[in-house]
Amino acid sequence: MNAVRILVCFKVTPDYEALREADWVAGEGGGAHGSGAAGGGTGAASRVETRYVPRILDCFDESALEMALRMREAAAGGTVPVELGAISIGGKEVERHLKTLQALGYERVTRVDTDADLDFAPTVTASIIARYVENTNNTDLLMLGWRSGPHDGGTVPFLVAEELGWPCLTQVTEVVVLSSDRVRVAHVVDDGVLRVTVRLPCVLGVGNAVVARLRVPTLTDRLAQRGAPVERVQGGDLGIDVAAELAREASVLADLEVIRRDRPGVIVGGESPREKAQTLFDSCLKSMIEKL
Amino acid sequence: MRSLAVVDGTVGTAARQARALGGFLREGSSGHGAAETLVLYRDECDVGRLVEQAPTRGVRLVKTAGGRPDAIVGILAALARDEGCRLFIFAGGYSGTESATRLAHRTGGAVVTDALSIEVGSDRLLCRRHVYSKHMVGRFELSASPWCVSIDVSWGDAQTAAALEHVVLSATDETGTAAEVDETRFEDLELTQSTPTGDLAQSRFLVVAGAGAGSREGVERVAAAARRMGADFGVSRPVAMSAWAPVDRLVGVSGTRTAPELCVVVGVSGAPALYWGIEKAGFIAAIDLDERAPIAKSADAVILDDGVMVIEELAKIIASSRE
Repeated sequence: MNAVRILVCFKVTPDYEALREADWVAGEGGGAHGSGAAGGGTGAASRVETRYVPRILDCFDESALEMALRMREAAAGGTVPVELGAISIGGKEVERHLKTLQALGYERVTRVDTDADLDFAPTVTASIIARYVENTNNTDLLMLGWRSGPHDGGTVPFLVAEELGWPCLTQVTEVVVLSSDRVRVAHVVDDGVLRVTVRLPCVLGVGNAVVARLRVPTLTDRLAQRGAPVERVQGGDLGIDVAAELAREASVLADLEVIRRDRPGVIVGGESPREKAQTLFDSCLKSMIEKL
Repeated sequence: MRSLAVVDGTVGTAARQARALGGFLREGSSGHGAAETLVLYRDECDVGRLVEQAPTRGVRLVKTAGGRPDAIVGILAALARDEGCRLFIFAGGYSGTESATRLAHRTGGAVVTDALSIEVGSDRLLCRRHVYSKHMVGRFELSASPWCVSIDVSWGDAQTAAALEHVVLSATDETGTAAEVDETRFEDLELTQSTPTGDLAQSRFLVVAGAGAGSREGVERVAAAARRMGADFGVSRPVAMSAWAPVDRLVGVSGTRTAPELCVVVGVSGAPALYWGIEKAGFIAAIDLDERAPIAKSADAVILDDGVMVIEELAKIIASSRE
């Protein structure tokens, strides 16, 4: 039986929760891929400085990576083989994650090498992914997070699907491989949860799946894959002039404004949890609760 | 300039879409939003009701075979091409995001999702929307038209619609229009309907547990305290994704946007993705060990202590006050 070939696309982003409140200012800061000097935006005030912030896997992409591993395990008990690949666009910061994925059993790992700032360029991002899928011609199921930062627009899965002419479902919470050409998908829509069987190929944007964390490989697994190659391709290899595509992006981030969420933040004093709770109740909550 | 608000009447959220679009057109578009509403419907829809709910006076009815948003996009692309429509506004959520994105791609236009507001110019559309996980608001310039905009789901908070004397401008039947993506690729559809925002959206008294509750046991103790004090219970994404509580309890960007009169948050850092879900609360009390956590500046009252212990004490006090 033919294998189901899954390709998971992921992004490495700054850990925004690591930034202090004072650091949330508009400036020349770098994007997810480093300096941010290579395009996007219209001026100096359209980025936040994140060059020195620790990098993490985007949360929904991380779910997609783990979900694919579990799909293979679940299918292994049956008759459907599953092959796994992973791709990310970015600089060297991506490499350690690709190595981790190799150790976890991803057979094909690829970095699209660019220092261009694609943080607010979903159309260009989608073009790169679609061209890679077309050129390699070995993907049946493309999975990625249904949205990713800092743009958070949720458009990339649909744009990739449009480029490829494939169906697309996002906010996916469960996927089961039924056969070499069909998957059963649960996804959140506006009026509930829709379960549907989809004929491959298709694009799935993973949402709030209760598969949030990517597992950690053992040292033995890492050592076994130590010399395994990471494929590197350039935009030009895919027939894309990234700089020219960026210049054509029809939706451009012009500037940023800080959101103020300040409330009084009155500290409630007391010697013990009981005393503090009583003070909060007496001073604030009692009258409110009586009216509820 | 031809501009259209689009209500997908083939799904169960049509009334909410119409309210959201109405609020956005009144307050989010500087009076330069859609001039007409395009209402898509199927045979079994109550067309009169859909017309009554429309957010503009002028209504255009289009009968479709329904189905996935992809089928609807083909109809809208034809309108952009044949009638020169330059602005399409969709309600927020799954269907709006998909429709706006696919429409922009097929027409060579530009898309922006989750719009907080727009300003319509002669050759540019300016749009404000959250970026950086809701830490910042970005202002985007859209050049190529048609401009395909899906609005932020917070516009769905609008409770009332303006009274309008509706006029049906046209009614067409597009049931024969084929989707560009082969619909036969989808089989055995099974929809489990639910209120999009669940019971948490209606909550007046809410307790939210964050990762600072420390463990599944800690979260369960917070949930028990919430029950004891008669409050609804929600959690942050890290708690739900650790499987310490059901996903339907999720509050914030990935879950429910709430508007309780009183909200007590326990072990919540105050990350914007969660805070967006409680920012409409009348009063926020935060219990956390970390005085540097952002929640300390975005709550009305703060207790610096073990959150689980304090919420249990608070539950006892509230329960005894009701006896």
